[in-house]
Amino acid sequence: MAVTARPLPHAAGRAEEHEDPREHLMHDPRPRGEMNAMVLESMHTTTWRYWLATGTLFFLVLTCFVYAWYYLIANGLGVAGVNRPVYWGIFLANTVFWIGISHAGTFISAILRVLKVESRRPFTRAAELMTTFGLVQAGASIFMHMGRIWLAYWLFPFPNERALWPDFHSPLMWDFLAINTYVLCSTMYLFLPLIPDIAMVRDHAKGWPKVFYRLLSLGFRGTEGEWKNLHTAMNIFAFAIIPVMFSVHTIVSWDFAMATRPGWSSSVFGPYFVIGALHSGMAAVAIVLFLVRSTMKNMKYFIRPEHFNAIGKLMLMVSMAWAYFYMNDYLVPWYGGDKWEKILQEFTEKGPLWWLWYTMLILNIVVPWAILWRKKWRSTPWLLASVGVLINIGMWIERYVIIPESLTINRMPFTWQIYIPRVEVFLTIGTVSLFLLLYMLASRIIPLVPVWEVQEGQIAHTLRRVGKADLPTLSEIE
Amino acid sequence: MTTDLQLPAFTNASEKDLGGRWGMVIDQDICTGCQACVAACAMENNVPYVGEDDAAYGRAMHWIRIERFWKGTFPEVKMTPFQPMLCQQCHNAPCEPVCPVYASVHSASEDLNLQVYNRCVGTRYCANNCPYQVREFNWRDYTDARLHPELTSLQNQLNPDVTVRRRGVMEKCTFCIQRIHQGEDAAASENRELADGEVVPACAQACPADAIVFGRIDDPNSRVSQAALPSRGYHMLEELGTLPRVTYLNGETNGSNG
Amino acid sequence: MSEHVSLLALFEDIGPASDGIDKLRALGVTDDQMNVISGIPFPGRVLGRPGARTNVPQIALVGAALGALLGLFLVYGVAYLYPLQVGGQPLYPVPMGFIATFEMTMLGLMAFAFLGLFVDSGFPSYTPKEYVPEISNGKIAVLFACDQNDEKRFADALIKLGAESVARAEARQL
Repeated sequence: MAVTARPLPHAAGRAEEHEDPREHLMHDPRPRGEMNAMVLESMHTTTWRYWLATGTLFFLVLTCFVYAWYYLIANGLGVAGVNRPVYWGIFLANTVFWIGISHAGTFISAILRVLKVESRRPFTRAAELMTTFGLVQAGASIFMHMGRIWLAYWLFPFPNERALWPDFHSPLMWDFLAINTYVLCSTMYLFLPLIPDIAMVRDHAKGWPKVFYRLLSLGFRGTEGEWKNLHTAMNIFAFAIIPVMFSVHTIVSWDFAMATRPGWSSSVFGPYFVIGALHSGMAAVAIVLFLVRSTMKNMKYFIRPEHFNAIGKLMLMVSMAWAYFYMNDYLVPWYGGDKWEKILQEFTEKGPLWWLWYTMLILNIVVPWAILWRKKWRSTPWLLASVGVLINIGMWIERYVIIPESLTINRMPFTWQIYIPRVEVFLTIGTVSLFLLLYMLASRIIPLVPVWEVQEGQIAHTLRRVGKADLPTLSEIE
Repeated sequence: MTTDLQLPAFTNASEKDLGGRWGMVIDQDICTGCQACVAACAMENNVPYVGEDDAAYGRAMHWIRIERFWKGTFPEVKMTPFQPMLCQQCHNAPCEPVCPVYASVHSASEDLNLQVYNRCVGTRYCANNCPYQVREFNWRDYTDARLHPELTSLQNQLNPDVTVRRRGVMEKCTFCIQRIHQGEDAAASENRELADGEVVPACAQACPADAIVFGRIDDPNSRVSQAALPSRGYHMLEELGTLPRVTYLNGETNGSNG
Repeated sequence: MSEHVSLLALFEDIGPASDGIDKLRALGVTDDQMNVISGIPFPGRVLGRPGARTNVPQIALVGAALGALLGLFLVYGVAYLYPLQVGGQPLYPVPMGFIATFEMTMLGLMAFAFLGLFVDSGFPSYTPKEYVPEISNGKIAVLFACDQNDEKRFADALIKLGAESVARAEARQL
């Protein structure tokens, strides 16, 4: 009996769908001069929309940040919503939230650099700016929650005639060391790859901006020695800042894990918080990239759907990791039967704030898993940014559930009291506005795209003929 | 119980000395819940009056509070013994290591937990970490007569032996350390030992039922050591290992706190 | 009597630039009389240059050591100088030592790497230097020294290999 070969149904008549590699940034090179001009144009083109946005943000910062903080300092923490037993409220939730956002910048500029993920090239600086500005908000939020903020310098170790030193038994002091290390190092790490781009801006500038950029570029030319030193320093930073990044949010989580409270004293908090930071941070990167791409001129050349696809994949993976850690944190007390932990879980799920808990789970798990599995949806900038917004709301709720909500339930039932935020709401709006305002201002002053890194990548990427196809090839030019 | 591992200086040397010096016994079975101790403590230690709204929101600053519980459902409701809750002056106080500026330290000589008002910067970590929730925070300038003119006359009532705290500072029961020091100074100036019962904190002094007994627990003959002996005695939240200096006497719910 | 002059040759692309460097070496210019100024970093072997040396790692390691000492001092030195009993915890706790030493070591490592870049490259430096703005637009510049007599010969050889221009390098305010 003869065997007839028939084409498989799915292959009949349809060529394999594959995107043209020439649509990728790394395979679409333009002359460096042209890319420089594009970036400079995006820096210097300001429309009325920019001024409107900046003006609104400035107004919000003046009212909800400057005035609200003055009001808080002048009247004391009584104007906030904290009480017994919820001594820490939204200020701490904001601190953890902003430190979380700042982790994404380091993840992209350090971890992706070390792993040689080429798609990171155009947006490392945009992400790293998020780190620096996010840490500014985190620092502000920590200072806001202090009772006597005018004595905040006492947390700094310095010799004094009263022989007073801070107490390194305290997780808050580990926080102090870790966050300061992280701020200083990530600012330095932001500045290092920025030097050649500032030199480029300096070369094209005129008048008093040229003086400013000349000062900032430190006399960089691009000689072999300078590049070697810069490259070596950047490599040291890239490798060294990764363990710092992990340690920072772990230490922040220890502020809670070291305490004796039910719901807080969990040994999984270290990695749980780090993954949570990456979750909200990657989502924030998606938002920022969407805003940069859609509002700034020429950015559609540099930031393409392929980058959103890459970030979307990371967001999906981190969301799964977050779900895994949350399951750990939830299942163990649920099963273990410690009386107070069970009461706390019951309060979280069925108490007056039950809707917060369900919202958190839906936004952090269901939304990313429902949308990010499909490449087409991941590559759609506005859709990914919307998912990013929802994830960030979900992660903020997660910090709210962990901090004020868990503090309500403790081992002394006579003291249980609900937390109702007051001036913290304004100050939260203020920190978000300040973050966006700093970003808007930075976009005018420094180039958001590291053009030299993009060109470096474009030189390393070629198309090689293999059989009948042109395949993207990457050479190790570093 | 803690095991003595005899490790060198990387462990706490004073763990061997579990006796401590000053301690308290509170007899829940004879406490009437009259709150005289609350009022006396507030007057002795310049505890601020926070006003109705803040008190309703959980910001009342009493250093000692009478906790009331009940069991059963309506109409078969039964009261449980009143529970006066104050700083337990834990030997292994969880509030101490978490203060970033050493404002909450342990006194080696009196074995009390000290709150240093001048050093406190108000991070409130100590309050979060206290399992008994006995630490109070000055949320506003409650005692400032410039902000609250109605307090001007009350300022005459302030105890000059005790600091008046400003806002942003944590405070808690000190076992009336000012009275302890007064007693010790008096004894030293008269060249004698401190007699048992000479130092009486405000709450013990005011209690009409004599439910609060205070004294040296390293002296086995003192009234407080004798009072801690009965089988009714237990420590609150003993499973946390804080080694509190307050023993509660409760024949009904011996060993648990509801 | 022949003076040494500094010339700057501008190349459009990597290939002609490396050919030009080979030619210069063949014409007698030694490696340490040449320097390549470019808008992106090229490893030495790409352009046929000996790799540049850097002292940044050593400086960074010194910083790491100093940071470690600072971390140890903060936890143990301070506890030794001003002992205060807290919470039943030992006076010289081991875990806090790890945390503080790790953070301060990392801070020292990175801060000194940053400063090492400044020190090794002579940043910040605002004196006039040999440079043309086209370099940041992607051109590769080869800065070399040669005899005044050989100037024309070298320039012609390089232009034949594809140099856009060969001119006297003037030190100008950047």
